[in-house]
Amino acid sequence: MKKLASPRIPTQRTKIGSSKNLPYLLIVPICILSFTLVLYPIVQGIWISLTDKTLGAEIGKKVNFVGLDNYAGLAHNSAFLASVRITTLYALINVVASVGAGLITALLVNRKFRGRGGVRALLTAPWAFPDIASVIIFIWILNSAFGIIGVVSQYLPFDTSGGWLTSSPYAFISIIGMSMWKTFPFYSIVILSALQGVPEDLLEAATVDGAGPIQRFKSVTLPSIKPTMYLLGLLAFIFAFRQFSMIYLTTGGGPERDTETLVVSVYNTAFKYYDYAVSSAIGVAGLAITFAASLGFLILQNRTARRDKR
Amino acid sequence: MNVVVGSKRTVILRSIVRYSFIAVVCLLVIFPLYWMVVTAIQPPEVTLAYPPVLYPKSPNVLGFQQLFHDKPMGRWLLNSGFVASLTTLITTTFSILGAYAISWFKWNGKFIFGMMLLFTQMLPEALIVIPIYKIYSKYHLVNSLPALSLIHAAFVIPVGVWILRPAFESIPKEVSEAAQIDGCDYLQLLRKIIIPLCSPAILAVGVVAFFASWGDYLLAVTMISKQELYPASVGLASTMSQLNTPIQELLSGALIYGLPPVILYMFIQKYIISGLTAGAIKG
Repeated sequence: MKKLASPRIPTQRTKIGSSKNLPYLLIVPICILSFTLVLYPIVQGIWISLTDKTLGAEIGKKVNFVGLDNYAGLAHNSAFLASVRITTLYALINVVASVGAGLITALLVNRKFRGRGGVRALLTAPWAFPDIASVIIFIWILNSAFGIIGVVSQYLPFDTSGGWLTSSPYAFISIIGMSMWKTFPFYSIVILSALQGVPEDLLEAATVDGAGPIQRFKSVTLPSIKPTMYLLGLLAFIFAFRQFSMIYLTTGGGPERDTETLVVSVYNTAFKYYDYAVSSAIGVAGLAITFAASLGFLILQNRTARRDKR
Repeated sequence: MNVVVGSKRTVILRSIVRYSFIAVVCLLVIFPLYWMVVTAIQPPEVTLAYPPVLYPKSPNVLGFQQLFHDKPMGRWLLNSGFVASLTTLITTTFSILGAYAISWFKWNGKFIFGMMLLFTQMLPEALIVIPIYKIYSKYHLVNSLPALSLIHAAFVIPVGVWILRPAFESIPKEVSEAAQIDGCDYLQLLRKIIIPLCSPAILAVGVVAFFASWGDYLLAVTMISKQELYPASVGLASTMSQLNTPIQELLSGALIYGLPPVILYMFIQKYIISGLTAGAIKG
């Protein structure tokens, strides 16, 4: 990962003005979109979270500024706290299980064998498959009367008679299963491509020195795929954190509010409970988490990059 | 990784374990998709029979016929195609400009710009969809497909820039110097040298943008409320919530809507992965 120390082209006057201004002109379109459709809505959301606005309130009702009351309320709001817990758990399991399963798959597929190209292509399929289509399939498969998993699971020693998507803890297990199906095959091909960069002579040297497969993995393979693993960890976190339709359209956040992650909670609070201001406050809390996570990732990435350079 | 130690027997044993594991993974990945195809092409009385039959029996295309007859599925697919095409156009154009700026020039604010892209990329749309809806309804932009594609573009552009950046940076300095000597200015350099040389990566961005928009449900369901303007995702979700929809019809819909991205992604996976591992999030 080299950093460009100097501009690639020596500065000089051109027909369209000096290159000093050109980069700023180039990013104008992106900035306009980002300001109007991302940053401005965030500011709006923060503003609403400081008021007592409700959705569908009678026209002319005055919206009052209430300061940080909504946030103070969140601290005692058991549904919100539960939602934070559910989101954290969901994200953590996604990061550990999906990236872990991806790593194991990649290590096993990382040999020449017949049909390898086909397997690799197959592994992209779930990632590319649209959410709504996945939702339709899983609702069908998990249907307790006719779905194949729903029917087969009746012979298993746990009581799934409440339905995979409608009883706890199966609803949570189901959304984990769906997101794993979607993500781990893709992570495995990303790791697979990183494995191509593992220096082969080092592996051979380690073998000559008598290192076993686990030792080789720990001291040669893992260090060289570390950046990719970090990246996938972040990707899995983002995926879990922003996942809306695959939860909202299967469990709707239920049963009770047992699968209500933060993004689903924002939506339900606004459109089911009509509490616009609290919904915005939850949204802003989520934004803060997102921001902290991206900052944390950047710092982590910079630190490892600097260490590697030394 | 051709280092193999151990006797012949352990080698054979290992490859048996490996192959069975690969087979299990493939089965897990493919089964839901296979089951969708089976359910979509067989009559409901076979589907609902007990015990379930694992292969399609007396296949037909009635599900597709019903779907296109009962629901404006053709219209919905066209709407999706329109929004996705527009999103693709906006995303590729803007991403090319943005990637050019951060890969070829040194300027103040580059870090902040990169940070903004990263933040947008991580941002769950669900957190700000309500304020966006408010802004859109204020300016009468709800129930407008082009306006919807603008939001899609805003969220995919960061990904586009991350895919293009390493491709743009990989162009050797000598090429650009030669072009300069021939009298190319910066925009000609972009148009005549960089874009043609990076066309595979640009194509990959186009595919990513197209299917990000094609797959979106949340933004579309919030911004579009007229049935004739529904994209396929919203149309299918509304069909799903009607209890009397035949299962064959529903799964046919999932098949026809879900398969195109799967097929195209298989061709471009290389670029997405190289964009991810080489260029993503360099700050």
